[in-house]
Amino acid sequence: MTGTRPSAALQAPADTRRIGRIRSETISTAAIFVLTIILIFASRFVSPALGSWDQVDTIITLASFLIVVAFGQGLVILVGGLDLSIASMITLGGVLSTTWNGSFGSEWALIPAVLVICACIGALNAVGVIWLNIPPFIITMAMGIIVASAALGYTSGTPRGAAPDAFLALMKGSIGGLSAVLIFVLVFALLAWTLQSATAFGRRLYAVGANREAARIAGIATWRPIMAAYALSAACAGFAGMMLVGYANGATLRMGDSYLLPSIASVVIGGSSILGGRGSFAGSVGGAILLTTLGTVIAALGMQQGWRTVIEGAIIVGALLLLREDLIVKLRSVR
Amino acid sequence: MSANLNAARVTAPGSNLAVVMRRVLTDGAGVVAILYVVLFALYALWDRSALTASGVTNLSNNAAPLALAAAGESLVVISKGFDLSVSGVVSLSNVLMATYPLEGPGGALVSLMICLAVGGAIGVINGVLVAILRLQSIAATLGTMIMGQGLALVIMDAPGGTVADWVSYTLTDVIFGVIPISGLIVLAVIALWLVFRRTDTCIGLFAVGADETAASLSGISVARARVTAFVGAGLLYGLAGFMLSAQTATGNPTAGTPFLMLTFAAVALGGVSLTGGRGSLVGAVIGAATLMLLQKVLFSGGVSSFYTGIFQGVVMVLAIIFGSLILRLASTGARA
Repeated sequence: MTGTRPSAALQAPADTRRIGRIRSETISTAAIFVLTIILIFASRFVSPALGSWDQVDTIITLASFLIVVAFGQGLVILVGGLDLSIASMITLGGVLSTTWNGSFGSEWALIPAVLVICACIGALNAVGVIWLNIPPFIITMAMGIIVASAALGYTSGTPRGAAPDAFLALMKGSIGGLSAVLIFVLVFALLAWTLQSATAFGRRLYAVGANREAARIAGIATWRPIMAAYALSAACAGFAGMMLVGYANGATLRMGDSYLLPSIASVVIGGSSILGGRGSFAGSVGGAILLTTLGTVIAALGMQQGWRTVIEGAIIVGALLLLREDLIVKLRSVR
Repeated sequence: MSANLNAARVTAPGSNLAVVMRRVLTDGAGVVAILYVVLFALYALWDRSALTASGVTNLSNNAAPLALAAAGESLVVISKGFDLSVSGVVSLSNVLMATYPLEGPGGALVSLMICLAVGGAIGVINGVLVAILRLQSIAATLGTMIMGQGLALVIMDAPGGTVADWVSYTLTDVIFGVIPISGLIVLAVIALWLVFRRTDTCIGLFAVGADETAASLSGISVARARVTAFVGAGLLYGLAGFMLSAQTATGNPTAGTPFLMLTFAAVALGGVSLTGGRGSLVGAVIGAATLMLLQKVLFSGGVSSFYTGIFQGVVMVLAIIFGSLILRLASTGARA
């Protein structure tokens, strides 16, 4: 951040903001990846088994759920919201895909059907946010409770059935010596990053998140990108639920709980503004891998899992404070 | 917003029946109080034990923790903020009570002090993060909530432990044979609020919530008002955790999780404007009592406990839509 100031000062005033923004985002993303790599190497000192290629493979597998969920969460945060229904949507994705598995004809009908159901529920969140003026965190929290309760009632407390074969293959299989999930994560990250940062749709998300009124005046039907963000978030969570089911070969009613807060943490430490309109998916991927690595190291150190939660909270507050500092620097350079 | 506030003050002493009626109907607390009475009548119809002293005590003990937490949340919401740390504070005070049970009235007093200290400390942190370092309240309190929940897990990694007998027996008991102690504690908080409402600090809270710039220009310290709201809220969450421990008599590191949604539902149901500057702690308390009563009504109405979440979620959304309708009604009423 100190690096951006002198260089930004050399630019014309109208340009400093944009250049300052891109720089600080790239820097924070790079910093997260460097930090993650250092952490992976440093973990060798904790236990010699850590830091090996197998370990990296395991971390990516464990982080894959979070990466998928963090994409959706990041989109919602980008348009100025917050999605607290994610835990329940993960559970719903997992429960539906196992319960309906076998009774739904082909898997290739089952998987899209579950994703569409999840997306529709996400769109309902957006209806509350856009037209009923309900604060995003409240409508998504209420929706989360409703969905969790429906899943509980539907399964009578014990989800049954096995994972769809496609997800077993995704989570357990390997292609050409590399684990399938590693390739999936790479492809997913590339597609998701392109959608968010290199398409007209993505630019609309940024515009709506940065200033909804200005975006409306500029001719964007603001409800569309907002609804798309919530629908995609719910669909991503549902997909992550199916991945988890493939990984553990079965659903549980609390399987989504441990992904809600880390999903927000990944996005925030990835350099996105919690107020919306700023951030990139590359940062969120870094955040997700960093948090997962941290979790593995904490487990290897024999520390209680509670500490992991404490550290996560502290990281969120720390990242918020750093981003805020960043804001002040930018304001100064504009002046 | 501030215009509405003044209008409400001016019309307050109106003796005209129509004015009084409009006040009750446009005051969130009035509407939710009517709703409570209707629900209670329904409950009493299904379950005659509701009218006995033990039935009332039961309701009061059930509602007290959420009512106290909602009372705290209303302070922050009135000053235009959201405080998610409630579930962290409640979990943390609950596990502390169950891990270090202190017997007797003296022990209970020390436990109460510990709970208040935990809540107050987290309130101070929230206040500093939001008011002085100017972080968005949802994000900052999300961080402190996660840290609180994490610390609760560090202290107790699985449900267990026992709360001191004195606390769990006495605080759920009645005095004079009919008056539940938990209800008295909630009433004491309401009495404090009625006094606090008359102070400049509280008027500052409303002013900051209605229009921060205007409040700051008229010489109110915005930072001080915000910190006051968060610290007051934290203390009340601590008290809520104390009362929850008395009620459950055991410890659970995730005891506070359900409080997060329910407090916001109670605040919205109680007619506190989620955009700040309007509402009352009393409304939030009645809102909380209504939500807990609704659970009982659903249960006695034969709805499977699996599905209570669906009703709570729907009621919460309806409460917010309803609340904003009332506010719109009130503002057109004030203009007319």
